[in-house]
Amino acid sequence: MPYRVVASERRVGSPPIRRRLQGLLEKRGWWLFALFLSLMAAWAIFPGVFAPYDANYLNPRNRLISPGGASPEGSHIAGTDGLGVDLFSQMVEGARLTLMIAVVATLLGAAIGVTVGMLAGYFGGVVDRMLMRLGEAQTAMPMFLVAILLLSLLGPSVTILIIVLPTLVWPIFARVVRAETLQIKQATYIEAAVATGCPTSVVLYRHVLPNVVPRILVLFVVEIGHVMLAEAGLSFLGVGVQPPDITWGLLIAEGRPLLTVAWWLTILPGVLLSVTVLSLNILSRRFEQYAGAAA
Amino acid sequence: MSSTDNKESVLPARRRARAGEGIGVLLLRRLRDGIITLLLVVAVIFVLAHVVGDPALVFSPVDASDEEVERIARAFGLDRPFWERFGSYFADIFTGDFGESWWQNRPALAAVAEALPNTIYLTLAGIAGAALTGIVGGVFAGSRPGSLFDRGSNFFSISALSVPNFWLGLLFIVIFSVQLGWFPTSGMFGVSSIVLPALTIAVVHGGRVFQLVRSATVEEMSKPYVRVARSKGFPHRMVLWRHVLRNTGLTTATIAGWEYVRLWGGAVFAIEWVFAWPGIGTLTINAAERQDFFVLQAAVIIAGVFVIVSNLVVDLLYRVIDNRIKSS
Repeated sequence: MPYRVVASERRVGSPPIRRRLQGLLEKRGWWLFALFLSLMAAWAIFPGVFAPYDANYLNPRNRLISPGGASPEGSHIAGTDGLGVDLFSQMVEGARLTLMIAVVATLLGAAIGVTVGMLAGYFGGVVDRMLMRLGEAQTAMPMFLVAILLLSLLGPSVTILIIVLPTLVWPIFARVVRAETLQIKQATYIEAAVATGCPTSVVLYRHVLPNVVPRILVLFVVEIGHVMLAEAGLSFLGVGVQPPDITWGLLIAEGRPLLTVAWWLTILPGVLLSVTVLSLNILSRRFEQYAGAAA
Repeated sequence: MSSTDNKESVLPARRRARAGEGIGVLLLRRLRDGIITLLLVVAVIFVLAHVVGDPALVFSPVDASDEEVERIARAFGLDRPFWERFGSYFADIFTGDFGESWWQNRPALAAVAEALPNTIYLTLAGIAGAALTGIVGGVFAGSRPGSLFDRGSNFFSISALSVPNFWLGLLFIVIFSVQLGWFPTSGMFGVSSIVLPALTIAVVHGGRVFQLVRSATVEEMSKPYVRVARSKGFPHRMVLWRHVLRNTGLTTATIAGWEYVRLWGGAVFAIEWVFAWPGIGTLTINAAERQDFFVLQAAVIIAGVFVIVSNLVVDLLYRVIDNRIKSS
């Protein structure tokens, strides 16, 4: 909107501080989210440094202290649960498994999706139609219910979860990579590589793959968030991670029976999860702009 | 997902119609794909129950004794060869025999049939809210990209997409039921109990509808005819309502339909569980807790059929409206 630009430039003579801060926040605001994600990664790697208490230490005398309250043992920023365990320590402890499951499952899904997408896009024909129909077919199923059925048949565990979750995300990777591969296939350098006698596997690995990487990275960051939400949902419903393991989704589930008396047990882990997924979404947009500018 | 992975068009690739294809052909093709999908899912369930697990244990209650398990194994003919069992399993499913629920002491299909209308009711109410907020917000934001409203609502919609849907439901319970006491926390009694679950769906899915409608509007606004209309002196609002909306209307309708199908992919079931809404989701999770395999299986297959059919309807509507526009 050219008119608006002119209107805002007229004020440049004396920019109010509030406006400058606002502009700074909008252009550089993603740093805050990147910082937050690094903090979560630090929680996951060194929980001992950040957790004020042992996440398995319970003391019924300290039960249901509201956030900011204190027990004889010290303060509890996020309060305590029904058994007197410090909630903040549990959230720190939960970061590890929450992030680990999401990253590993998304990596697996990406690996499957990228392979399928590249093969389908490069070879086309019957391979393409069969592989892509499988992905299409899957998006037309209530996959969340299927996941519940699978998990309850196989018995819920972290391992099974890491096997089931990639099935939710691979079609998206396959679709994007296929579309990219179709374009790259037209390029002269691919033709040159084939003409000089490059085996197909080398063409795919050395020439096609590096060119789809930027798009995969953008997608990867978003999908970690989606997988995180799916894991939280399944754990919340009791078919995902089982206690004594801790993830944020499980913490929400455990707090739920006490919702009316201790809201913080469900709300705070959810805030943490939401902000993490939001950070991933915002960073991926940032990457997208960057990748778009580079291309 | 959809907001990032296809820049060239707002609609997923499969929604774009193939050139020169009649509605009949499209219908048949979709129907065939749907049936293949369903067969695959049924086959996967069979393999999991019969090959990975011990079917006698899968079929029997959690607390069944050894004799009982053996009786069940005999009753289901589990000593028969694999392919014979596979055949009779498919025959049962396609004649509508989904087995008896030992938890509810009635055919599993009956339990699912009772829950299905409740889920449909909730999803329709939720998607109506999502479409309303998403479309109105998306058009306003997209018509003035970069404005304060655009930036604000854009951030809000990204946040809505980042929030776990079931947690949002719990948050609404804390605010509107526990603190304010406006709505019941759970169950299905009268109109007031649908407000919170439908609102949860509306926020989460409205966020995605918003994003898609917004980018469709931005795209449309950048077309030459808009500039022509503006340079002729038509006011912004008139160009928006008279010209742009007419052209994005079809895309918008498809986005809402597609979002409805998507809702069945997950969100609604966890939200049902949060609000104890007696639908497919609550039934499935209760069945999973009780290891009631037949109810689980019936719920997945019936929900699958429903999703495939609604997919078909959305596609068909899209084509019908599209053709009408093209011929007029």
